[in-house]
Amino acid sequence: MTPPATRKPLIEFRNVNHAFGTRPIVHNIDLTVGESEFVCLIGPSGCGKTTLLRMVGGLLTPSSGQVLFNGRPVDGPEKEISFMFQDYSKALLPWRTAAGNVSLALEATNVPAAQRGPRIKELLAKVGLANHADHYPAQLSGGMQQRVQIARCLAQEPSVLLMDEPFGALDAMTRQALQDEILRLIAVSKTTVLFVTHDLEEAIYLGDRVVALYPNPGRVAQVFDVKLPFPRDQLSTREHPEFLRLRRELFDFIREGEA
Amino acid sequence: MTPRAKVLWMIGSVCVTALIVVAWQMIANYSGIPAVFLPGPDRAWRALVTGFTTGDLTQLSMATVERMIYGWVLASLAGIVLGAIIGSSKIAREYVAPMLEMVRPVPVSAFMPVVIAIVGLSGGMVLIVIALGAIWPVLLATVHGVSSVEPRLMEVSRSLRLGRLQTLWKIALPNSQPDILAGMRIGLTVSLILAVIGEMLTSEAGLGYHVLVAARAFRSADLFAGVILLGLIGLVSNVALQEIERYMLRWKQR
Repeated sequence: MTPPATRKPLIEFRNVNHAFGTRPIVHNIDLTVGESEFVCLIGPSGCGKTTLLRMVGGLLTPSSGQVLFNGRPVDGPEKEISFMFQDYSKALLPWRTAAGNVSLALEATNVPAAQRGPRIKELLAKVGLANHADHYPAQLSGGMQQRVQIARCLAQEPSVLLMDEPFGALDAMTRQALQDEILRLIAVSKTTVLFVTHDLEEAIYLGDRVVALYPNPGRVAQVFDVKLPFPRDQLSTREHPEFLRLRRELFDFIREGEA
Repeated sequence: MTPRAKVLWMIGSVCVTALIVVAWQMIANYSGIPAVFLPGPDRAWRALVTGFTTGDLTQLSMATVERMIYGWVLASLAGIVLGAIIGSSKIAREYVAPMLEMVRPVPVSAFMPVVIAIVGLSGGMVLIVIALGAIWPVLLATVHGVSSVEPRLMEVSRSLRLGRLQTLWKIALPNSQPDILAGMRIGLTVSLILAVIGEMLTSEAGLGYHVLVAARAFRSADLFAGVILLGLIGLVSNVALQEIERYMLRWKQR
């Protein structure tokens, strides 16, 4: 369960267990994520994938075991780790414009007011919202709202991006556009990504590795290396024999787990 | 509503008002109720005009409005600050909430003798009573708004490592804006009522005292003029606040 030897380990789960009351949620998780690696967590509901993400984000402390970031145990939200939520409509401040929402991350790190304006402009441009800076979330489509959240996360200049089913609520076209956008942004910034999804194809399309989990309690079942060339392309990648092979393998695996 | 329907509705409501004024005039003229008790709208209007041109109605109105606004601002500020403190701490909420629930239903007029005993029969007493009465809607709205932030937003705040004060200032208080503004609107109405009652009790100059004296002297036209003015003050302040609310909550409109 370790990344290729060329990568320096950045996030490590060491024998991590978590239970809500007496009900175990995740069991004996050992997993290492390397620097600049894109790892997708996949599995049926109840496999604790979101729980694992929240541990790295410092929003949840495991019942036992350790979650390490850069070799140090995580004991609260880290400045360098950014968390992106699925429910964009709840995760944005509805009373702030797109620019204001991005600004929140800059205010949190005490960026002087004079420097915020140009930074916000640049970030919104990066996610294709240059012309929507003054719009309130209620005036934006779901995809645009999620773009605002991406911009807010990028404003933190994180070395790790945690994404909890970020595109799950979006329509297929928007989802594909945002998948490519994330890959493009990550390729430049070399950010490490831990990405939770229940969409097999999304996991293969995005990831360097796909970690499949068993449910009740959540355990690491199998890790799949994705040896698909970059940059990935919605058509050619998805028609690549390796993509189809992995898709088949994962599909069988999930069906097995459900049986 | 289409603009056309809006105009029709407005014409309709103006007609109804006009009809009521006409009916009032008829009753005053032909019902046999003595003019010392019921003036017609014509006499009330004349009393208003003379009051503003030769009398001191402007000054009296200003005095009452000033009292109302001072008390209201005091109540709103205190309500927001206290509400933010109580709302953002679970412990404070648990300790203070039962007491708030007990004190809140007590009519403020019942506190008046207490306040009079402490500060005397003065303008300061009126101000304190207004603040005491108008603080409740704002205080309770703020407590509710600050303590009912969307849990996801609290996680966003944690994830961004915002401090307690930053979370309160940037998330919890803006989140309470709709509640607070609604509370302030109720508070403004309460303030006007208490300003009038306070003036009647303390004989401080203002429309409240003016109305009382007019009634005692059977100057029914002046009495009605005062009542109409108070109604107008209530209406205008409410509409103004509604507009402010609409501007501040523009993010809610799609």
